[in-house]
Amino acid sequence: MRILENKWALVSITILCWSIAATFSTGYFYYQYLGLIERTKGTPIHINLGLNYGNGTIRWFNNTEATGGMTLLNVTLLVAEVNYTIWPGMGAFVDSIANIENAYPFYWMWWTWTSYSGWVEGPVACDKYVVANGETLYWYYENTTISPLPPPPP
Amino acid sequence: MNSKNTAAIAILVALSIGTNYALVGIYNVKLMDLITFVSGFVFGPFVGVFVGVFSWAIYGVLNPYGFVLQIWVATMFSEAVYGVAGGLLHMVNTNFNGKSFWHVVFLGNLGFLLTLVYDLITNIAYAHVLGQDVLIAMVIGAPFTLTHELSNALLFGICFIPLTTTLKIMGVYSIANIRK
Repeated sequence: MRILENKWALVSITILCWSIAATFSTGYFYYQYLGLIERTKGTPIHINLGLNYGNGTIRWFNNTEATGGMTLLNVTLLVAEVNYTIWPGMGAFVDSIANIENAYPFYWMWWTWTSYSGWVEGPVACDKYVVANGETLYWYYENTTISPLPPPPP
Repeated sequence: MNSKNTAAIAILVALSIGTNYALVGIYNVKLMDLITFVSGFVFGPFVGVFVGVFSWAIYGVLNPYGFVLQIWVATMFSEAVYGVAGGLLHMVNTNFNGKSFWHVVFLGNLGFLLTLVYDLITNIAYAHVLGQDVLIAMVIGAPFTLTHELSNALLFGICFIPLTTTLKIMGVYSIANIRK
């Protein structure tokens, strides 16, 4: 049979099988994740939220009380006035926090503190990021033309 | 079909059912599919279908996990997929005499994809019975589906060639005797 002689065809079929298995796994864990979010919705949690206005002023809102299932945008709205634009398919883009508006090259960027890598830049829009109990998050009004983006000061 | 072949088919059906009961504690890891596939390969697609359907006809009725008519019918006829595939593989005169790594890869992938077809059909039946969305049923059942598919990929890849070679050495079948 020809397919047995074509190693590339066999490798392709193996990759196909692997991708099917990966798709099933992803679907399963996403479904479990949604269930977990739904079940923990409403439970009281506490977040540490920092706001760095870029002019030397830093305000910390430690132990801010929130509820499970809230996003970073929800939590930020609890402590400050936020203007934002919803971009379909992308999420919320923060235009201003506490009346400090984005003005090129300064924009509001968000960071999260991790035990394994220190400050990590927010991977998604702030309304897509569901916060966890005890998490430390940080809004930093910073110059976005610098690459890589400077993390929040220690 | 000679008496030796008839006996071999009866043994394969018995083996298929027996191993299913023996492995009842290990969820979704079964030798039945491989045995059905080998039956089809050795004796042709019709015998493969017979072994698959007959094995599930018995095991499905006396199923330790319970009996649901629609699921039983779906599994019974889905099992035939292995027998048909085995028979078709034989018809294209595939030579698995060698110990090629690529033969193992091919058979493992074939086991995976045939099990995927089987699981798709049975999941549709399951979703229909429970009034669930098919996609949701498939996502919820993913751990079971993947266990079934990956175990069959390993079993088909590793066990098929030794099993058919053994049957051949024992004189249970030869290409010339298949149609007798």
